[in-house]
Amino acid sequence: MTDVPVTAGEAPGGDAPAVARRRALNPTVSRYLHAFRTPRGITGAVLLLLLAAAALLAPVLFPGGYDQQGSDALAGISAQHIFGTDEFGRDLFVRSIYGLRIDLSLILTAVPLSMAIGTVLGLTGALSERLGSGTQRLLDVIIGFPGLILGICLVSILGPGWLAIFLTILISGLPTAGRLARGAWLGQQGREYVLAARVLGVSRPQLLVRHVLPNAMDAAVVNCAVWMVVGVYIEAGLSIVGLGVQPPTPSLGVLLNSGLRFVTQSPTYILGPALLLLLLAVGFSLLSDALNEAVNRR
Amino acid sequence: MTRFLVRKMPSLMFVLLASSVVAFALPRLAPGDVAVTLAGQDPTPAAVAAIRQQLGLNRSPVLQYFDWIVGVLHGNLGQSYVLHRSVASVIGDRIESTVELALAAALLVVVFGTTLGVLAGSTKRRWARATLDLVNSFFIAVPSFLIGLVLILVFGVLHRWLPVIGEVSVLDNPSFGIQYLILPAIALALAPAAVVARLLQTEMLSARNEDYVDLAVSKGASPSRITTRHVLRNSLGTAVVAVGLQIGHLLAGAVIIEAIFARNGLGQLAVSSVQTRDFTVLQVLILGVVFVAVLCQIFTEIGLASLDPRIRLGDQR
Repeated sequence: MTDVPVTAGEAPGGDAPAVARRRALNPTVSRYLHAFRTPRGITGAVLLLLLAAAALLAPVLFPGGYDQQGSDALAGISAQHIFGTDEFGRDLFVRSIYGLRIDLSLILTAVPLSMAIGTVLGLTGALSERLGSGTQRLLDVIIGFPGLILGICLVSILGPGWLAIFLTILISGLPTAGRLARGAWLGQQGREYVLAARVLGVSRPQLLVRHVLPNAMDAAVVNCAVWMVVGVYIEAGLSIVGLGVQPPTPSLGVLLNSGLRFVTQSPTYILGPALLLLLLAVGFSLLSDALNEAVNRR
Repeated sequence: MTRFLVRKMPSLMFVLLASSVVAFALPRLAPGDVAVTLAGQDPTPAAVAAIRQQLGLNRSPVLQYFDWIVGVLHGNLGQSYVLHRSVASVIGDRIESTVELALAAALLVVVFGTTLGVLAGSTKRRWARATLDLVNSFFIAVPSFLIGLVLILVFGVLHRWLPVIGEVSVLDNPSFGIQYLILPAIALALAPAAVVARLLQTEMLSARNEDYVDLAVSKGASPSRITTRHVLRNSLGTAVVAVGLQIGHLLAGAVIIEAIFARNGLGQLAVSSVQTRDFTVLQVLILGVVFVAVLCQIFTEIGLASLDPRIRLGDQR
């Protein structure tokens, strides 16, 4: 993102101090960075960094892996097992951290890819109006498959596992990203500078890249953070109904699923995984709020 | 109104058509061969060919699609090769549970959503608005399954006030049935209700800044009359749309809630058909969900158009 040449200062309407503004950092980047100067942004970022570090370092911190069985099954919370143990006596904290790894590996790949593809699809309208509305009809079909239904279709084709969840997150993010990008295009379409550029003979693809894409960027970045949360929920939802990654591999959703089966014997089972899931969601929510504020700050 | 519907129909029809193609294509995209599975262990090629002939699997996909869709439109949903029963009877057994859950949840969405929305949109006290905002944000952000888990822990495990696993049909035994229904319906309804409330509130706040409200104030209309006649009336459209759109989500959300509360509804049926690769059942379920979602969308549009003549008469788009 750092090397995107952006127009905030060049767009007509941005006035004289454009030169001065450009001296330190690319204006777009510094605008996004402002998100990390607000309390919400800092809290979200620190929280996410901690979670990501724990997930990344899991093999170092817990070299025994997530499948090490102990003697006491379904134990409650104790100093030794801070999240308790599962039905095979495996430490739930270790399993939750390894589960976090799977969740992060899913959303950090699927969501940005989804936003990128969705944005490109949404901007096709700038190349040809017919192409644009055709793409929107296709995206409408995706919206027609609400909630987990899309995931159920994909799992029935691919079988349960990482790939099916990855594709579910990727595809379900497309319509929103596409609409945001199309909205940005429709909003800029009639602006004087776009008309001016067209009169000057700027080609449509070039117009798209130079003028429309930067305007679609803000919404896409905020949306990306929002969809990280949705992605986590999709994984958890699919796993809770039993169509997620297959045991013994843990994911946060898988742990909730098996925790539910023992909810009366060991009510603390689901608390740990639920807590991590919530922290992940809160982290990304705070971040998206902060980004949204930073982007709309004028 | 008819012209309005005629204008809206093509895109909705396209969604239905496309989803039926997707549903039809599922078993053909999945690995494995239905005929081989049905022929049992160590089938002879002749047996497999016979079954394929019998099911019409050796004809062109386009013909097979038309056969299937014409059958579905005539109410012939096909045969489940896993359960050895007709798809209609399999679905018939399960549909009551899901309909009960969805109706109860929809009722809660309307009640909670409009109450919270109107309260947040009409109060002038800052702390009240801040509290309602916080409550709404919380329920929008927290997914239904986490709410379900908390409800189970609090009301089923900690206090044992309500049953949390299984179900009793409301039609057979109303008092027990409703006890089984309360927690899942709440878990399913809170998030959509918060979305409805948030939209209604935003709409009411922006309606309050309109000129016609200033005019009503200057004419000396009472605050409550302004709220109901001028602000609420002009904001209801949003609420109708929001409720309509959320109902499709309720059905899809029921899949997770049924799993959590161990209810034997259509969602659980869909999950088990994926696991047993019972595609004939799955196809009908997917088509059904999309059909209901599209129906909700149509009714939403109708409701919206009858509330707001600008939409009904507008010729743009």
